[in-house]
Amino acid sequence: MESTDPTGKGSAEQSDSQRQSQMDRLDREEAFYQFVNNLNEEDYRLMRDNNLLGTPGEITKEELLRRLQQIKEGPPQQNAEENRGEATEDSNGDSIIDWLNSVRQTGNTTRSGQRGNQSWRAVSRTNPNSGDFRFSLEINVNRSTGNPNLPPSEQSEGSGVENMELTNQGEAEPEPEVETEPEIVATGENAVEEPAPQRGQRRARSRSPELRRIRSRYDRSRSPFNPTVEAPSRRAQHNSSQTVDVSPVEAEGSSRTRQLVTAYITNSTPETEGSSRTRQHVTARQQILVADSPIQSSMLSNSETRNSPQPPSAETPDNADATGNGQRPPTIVLDLQVRRVRPGEYRQRDSIANRTRSRSQTPNNTVTYESERGGFRRTFSRSERAGVRTYVSTIRIPIRRILNTGLSETTSVAIQTMLRQIMTGFGELSYFMYSDNDAEPGTPAAGSPPVAAGVETQNSATVAPRAPPAPEPVEPPNPPMEADNGSNDVSTSGTRREVRNTRGSVTFEESGSLPFLRLAQFFLLNEDDDDQPRGLTKEQIDNLSTRNYGENDALKTCSVCITEYTEGNKLRKLPCSHEYHVHCIDRWLSENSTCPICRRAVLVSGNRESVV
Amino acid sequence: MQRQSRLKRELQLLSTEPPSGVSCWQAGDRIDELKAQVVGAVGSPYEGGVFRLEIMVPERYPFEPPRVQFVTPIYHPNIDSAGRICLDILKPPPKGAWRPALSLSSVLTSIQLLMSEPNPEDPLMADIAQEYKYHRAAYIATARSWTQKHAGAPGATHKRSGQEGEGLPPHGIP
Repeated sequence: MESTDPTGKGSAEQSDSQRQSQMDRLDREEAFYQFVNNLNEEDYRLMRDNNLLGTPGEITKEELLRRLQQIKEGPPQQNAEENRGEATEDSNGDSIIDWLNSVRQTGNTTRSGQRGNQSWRAVSRTNPNSGDFRFSLEINVNRSTGNPNLPPSEQSEGSGVENMELTNQGEAEPEPEVETEPEIVATGENAVEEPAPQRGQRRARSRSPELRRIRSRYDRSRSPFNPTVEAPSRRAQHNSSQTVDVSPVEAEGSSRTRQLVTAYITNSTPETEGSSRTRQHVTARQQILVADSPIQSSMLSNSETRNSPQPPSAETPDNADATGNGQRPPTIVLDLQVRRVRPGEYRQRDSIANRTRSRSQTPNNTVTYESERGGFRRTFSRSERAGVRTYVSTIRIPIRRILNTGLSETTSVAIQTMLRQIMTGFGELSYFMYSDNDAEPGTPAAGSPPVAAGVETQNSATVAPRAPPAPEPVEPPNPPMEADNGSNDVSTSGTRREVRNTRGSVTFEESGSLPFLRLAQFFLLNEDDDDQPRGLTKEQIDNLSTRNYGENDALKTCSVCITEYTEGNKLRKLPCSHEYHVHCIDRWLSENSTCPICRRAVLVSGNRESVV
Repeated sequence: MQRQSRLKRELQLLSTEPPSGVSCWQAGDRIDELKAQVVGAVGSPYEGGVFRLEIMVPERYPFEPPRVQFVTPIYHPNIDSAGRICLDILKPPPKGAWRPALSLSSVLTSIQLLMSEPNPEDPLMADIAQEYKYHRAAYIATARSWTQKHAGAPGATHKRSGQEGEGLPPHGIP
């Protein structure tokens, strides 16, 4: 009989301050639930989907209210210029990561920063209604800055930075209405202005240490999925001619195998569609390698390369080229968009081995590249108009767990996974762009390659000249000679590439430059999360019926929070007829698929195994 | 997290309407560290014993199961020498059977049941399981002696007074 009240025993020992803080916490918790209960359906969903609900007991009601208002009112637009120039090298990547992590919670945001000769600007937008999420990152490389090597004349020229408008991208056709299977569509665009041809490789080199880095990062990011394929060539140098055009590679590919790939592509690039295309299907990796090899060149370099009309034989070249005017700094725009797509559209997550690529060529210089691997579909396309080249990468990732019922740690994991995949996708994009570059500047003379290698990286040695194996008639103004060279090289390139790849993935420089690359790295580092979602998707959860609690109802208590329902509470009813607070059950279902009371599978149609 | 409010309610219920043979309370300053006692069921070798347990409530509770361990040594096929308990509802799905509709109270009751109904097919202590299956008498004797020795079965007093105060089960106390 000594201790009659066990609970009292514990609390008696508590210090007052602790007790007080706990009381406060409990108050906030109560307030939280009250707040959530009072939300109408729309607002609740809005907040949940944007991860604004925070942690019960920690977040205050005022804060919740503020967030709600904020997201309803729309984005507080920040001046992009605000932050500019503040970011330091080191902080850049991290800050953008932090920012990205918070993006989803804050609705629309704009952020920008500058580093070295690059400036970046990131914009995120969330459509509360559809849950679509869009993130775009735009990077301007300003040549004039940070390029000591450049001739003065060039520098002056380079100063002008051009921004590409994101809006142009056809990327997103809104199909929000269909809500079944959420998918992420990441669209990466790299719009490069075609500058007058001016520079040689040197420039490329000098100008973009960062670029190089980017490339390597890209490699890495890509590597997890497809290491062999990777090997973006490190030599940007080959290309020099300005002719824009379809890469020889493509031509080649077409010759070898043509198969139809389902054309589901891209709303994103309107141009692509409609045009007659050639599609190739490359099944074997090796083939891919071969085919690709000519293609590969660093995207970055490309952008630069493009600028330089002359095929730089080596590092020297710049000067000659320098003459050119009107070069504009390349702008890289990454546009990430998360939206919903029809259910079941891309379900084949198991076919990891599958990889399909297709290239199509259209009169208007649109090239599309498509790949598919275990659940992701990627589409890359390039189009060119009025001297502006646009690369679009669309990645579709079925996400089972976009659901941000908030509160759960797994959410961040899901986001990370998602982003990592997206970044990887960007890697692919770069890869594509690389290749594109190579092809384009029809100049890849045999001579140049070695030099290039030197410039690029340690790996460079391995890099061989990549000429397009088979010269295509279609091809642009490339001298036939080149083509020949290319073919010769090709055989070797495969092997070399391999070497490079391995190396490349390991090597790259740690001093990150572009924020998004860091991002990629960041996500890659956190690779260990499980890809085995057990929970329901947001759609699946939303499809379960809800109702408002009425006083007369029999069951009075939510089994999850052990709290009695009060009038007006929103309840969700599972197929087994058990009911819970929406916010309680939603969280559980985001990670689990059974009823908390009877353990019956919530989804009857079982594409997911029911836990018994 | 919902943990706090839910725990508060659970503890309240546990103190006002404790299930028979079970008690649970907050151990100290921390709300996520609880202590519990389970009384050995009548008819089991643990009868008369009062077994102490420690409960750690994870941050994500009730979406994750509480972690429960025996403090009092117990001779049981499904409870190891460190006090760890092999019980499905203590593991999260899909492997386990935890669900938010369960509670500390139901967990403790399940543990009490497990004590009197060992599951030798899923043993944590293989040798005890063997003994339980093939030499039941030996098992019972050992378990009983452990209970007397460690759990204050008849004779030992220190924990029981508290239990009585809780209005513990008639059968739990001799």
